[in-house]
Amino acid sequence: MSTPAIEVRGLRREFRASQGLFAPPRRVIAVDDVSFSVPAGSVLGVVGESGCGKTTLARMILGLMEPSAGEVLVDGKRLDGMDRRARARLIQPVFQDPFSSLNPRRRVRDIIAMPLVAQGNVTTLEIDRRVAESLERVGLSTEQGTRFPSQLSGGQRQRVAIARALVLRPRIVVCDEPTSALDVSVQAQILNLLAELRRDLGLTYLFISHNLAVVEHVASEVAVMYLGRIVERRESEALFRDPRHPYTRALLDSVLTPEPGLGVPDVGLGDIMPDPANIPPGCRFHPRGPACFAPCAATAPRITSLEDGLVECHLAG
Amino acid sequence: MSALLDIEDLRVTFGGTAAVRGISLTVEKGETHCLVGESGCGKSVTSLAVMGLLAKGGKRDAARLSFAGDDIRDYNEAQMSRLRGDRMAMIFQEPMTSLNPAYTVGSQMTEVLRRHRGTPRAQAVDRAVELLTRVGITAPGLRLGQFPHQLSGGLRQRVMIAMALMCDPELLIADEPTTALDVTVQAQILRLLAELQKDLGLGILLITHDLGIVARVADRVSVMYAGEVVESAPTAELFRAPRHPYTRGLLSCVPVPGKVKRDEPLGSIPGVVPRIPPGFTGCAFRDRCSFAEAACAGTLPRRNVGPAHEMLCVLPEGVPA
Ligand SMILES: Nc1ncnc2c1ncn2[C@@H]1O[C@H](COP(=O)(O)OP(=O)(O)OP(=O)(O)O)[C@@H](O)[C@H]1O
Ligand SMILES: Nc1ncnc2c1ncn2[C@@H]1O[C@H](COP(=O)(O)OP(=O)(O)O)[C@@H](O)[C@H]1O
Ligand code: SF4
Ligand SMILES: [Mg+2]
Ligand SMILES: [Mg+2]
Repeated sequence: MSTPAIEVRGLRREFRASQGLFAPPRRVIAVDDVSFSVPAGSVLGVVGESGCGKTTLARMILGLMEPSAGEVLVDGKRLDGMDRRARARLIQPVFQDPFSSLNPRRRVRDIIAMPLVAQGNVTTLEIDRRVAESLERVGLSTEQGTRFPSQLSGGQRQRVAIARALVLRPRIVVCDEPTSALDVSVQAQILNLLAELRRDLGLTYLFISHNLAVVEHVASEVAVMYLGRIVERRESEALFRDPRHPYTRALLDSVLTPEPGLGVPDVGLGDIMPDPANIPPGCRFHPRGPACFAPCAATAPRITSLEDGLVECHLAG
Repeated sequence: MSALLDIEDLRVTFGGTAAVRGISLTVEKGETHCLVGESGCGKSVTSLAVMGLLAKGGKRDAARLSFAGDDIRDYNEAQMSRLRGDRMAMIFQEPMTSLNPAYTVGSQMTEVLRRHRGTPRAQAVDRAVELLTRVGITAPGLRLGQFPHQLSGGLRQRVMIAMALMCDPELLIADEPTTALDVTVQAQILRLLAELQKDLGLGILLITHDLGIVARVADRVSVMYAGEVVESAPTAELFRAPRHPYTRGLLSCVPVPGKVKRDEPLGSIPGVVPRIPPGFTGCAFRDRCSFAEAACAGTLPRRNVGPAHEMLCVLPEGVPA
């Protein structure tokens, strides 16, 4: 079997968030014992509500944050101890907010050139050539390359972020909610671009979103995250056809398709948002699950293997 | 009987930008009218113009702007502020823009009633608890004592809705009330709005960029582009037979589970909404429209293409089915 593009084992990350002078710090478990691997050339979609640990997971995989426990292998090599420049040639990020993730005082072409410049020993000629190639790849003109981020629309800014991620010709791109700040029309443009780039360049994506409908369009496999854990991971088609975890079902029900007459479904879940500083005992989902039963409050469910993935729920066991 | 909110030929300019260019729409009692379009097409300016809350430099003009039969075009600030938060309420995309971070939820909610109705404190607190419960908040007592930043985004939006309902408004204007929320919370909030409307007979003007939301909650839809309504119809009719090229484009962009195959491209609209100067003629969509022809630069006809279904486009029948 070929080496997976990304492999994480027992990944965990805690934070200690201060609550002021006299209160003890809150211990936040943002990512809690997560393991998976992403085959080269495929797309793993990661979905879940705000605060469930998606960005924390992404930052650890990018080597931008130390795990509290566990390890990350990218292209078979351990991230800790890897040279920053070597890491940058292997894996690159695209973040959600195209407004804050680009330096407002630099021109677009200089923003795109940054990762190359940071490599050192690349000639100016080569930099110009590679920046031009990246601009073209993402559908931006040479003229747009001379502008500042503030002179571009949100969608164009996201294209700049993608061009910057591609300039080192990495194998793997981690996209953290790349379209959440965009209009549906612009979201469609960016999703189509990402799909085209993946096909043409043979890229591997870790693709994060809070919207399952968006993930379905790009992912070959989907991981559903809840309070720091992956509660269901399935081949994309199987997940949408036959979701096994009640939380996955709630996420799926929340997608409002443009079909009139259906009304807004009752997704259950209640009004209490999950708090990673206060993870419930037993199954961490049970306080929000309308169908959860007695064992759910008492014992954490084990991971159940399915033909096309895995699920962590007493109901599926 | 006249409509609850009746807008005819509303225009707003900001210096060299014509943000709203002759919008007409009505909201009936108990009806949800959705205004949908991409960002920058003038949705928020429309709602702010109705509420008399335009930013400095904004110039408003309308052939008619009436609320519950009263012409409100010449209302002064004191008259408008008596309406706002009382018979006409508004909720915004980002609840923090209308919640004051320095006061507890309880004091802000009761203040609304005390200001508009002079209700005694104890009674106002009861009403606040009742409404927080009504919007699905399980520990209303606790929430009353908390500050806005101590609440999650979904809870804040629920508080906003409860606050908007304190004085039993007749009209609710909701500008992208769920855009900043998780999809799960979005579904909960929209369901809540629909229920409240049924129970209270509210008229709702709901602004969104998401046609999925429109399909699920609207009675009537106006599709807005670059300051104009380009297509308007009852919801079922609009989704059964969308005619305008822009409406078609917007619809094709929405990812629908089980509909689009992986690796097949989603439909999309190239480019972005242009900024339109005053005095512009022709179709503002023509640079992005795949049906554009020479006539699109001239004056456009607004015509009926179905039951209560209007469209602004040179194509006689719109895009063929
Ligand atoms: N530097 C930090 N210090 C303390 N807590 C943190 C830190 N970074 C993240 N957290 C907490 O960890 C949890 C997971 O955060 P994370 O940003 O990974 O969520 P997310 O799934 O990306 O959410 P969103 O959808 O809002 O982007 C949250 O409770 C967050 O408040
Ligand atoms: N205070 C303002 N000053 C100048 N132009 C404005 C102002 N507010 C809005 N506009 C312009 O009016 C147009 C419509 O904006 P807006 O109503 O906010 O769009 P939407 O809510 O549909 O995203 C945009 O071109 C915007 O730049
Ligand atoms: S008027 Fe012309 S450019 Fe405008 S939508 Fe119709 S066909 Fe397209
Ligand atoms: Mg995040
Ligand atoms: Mg707006």
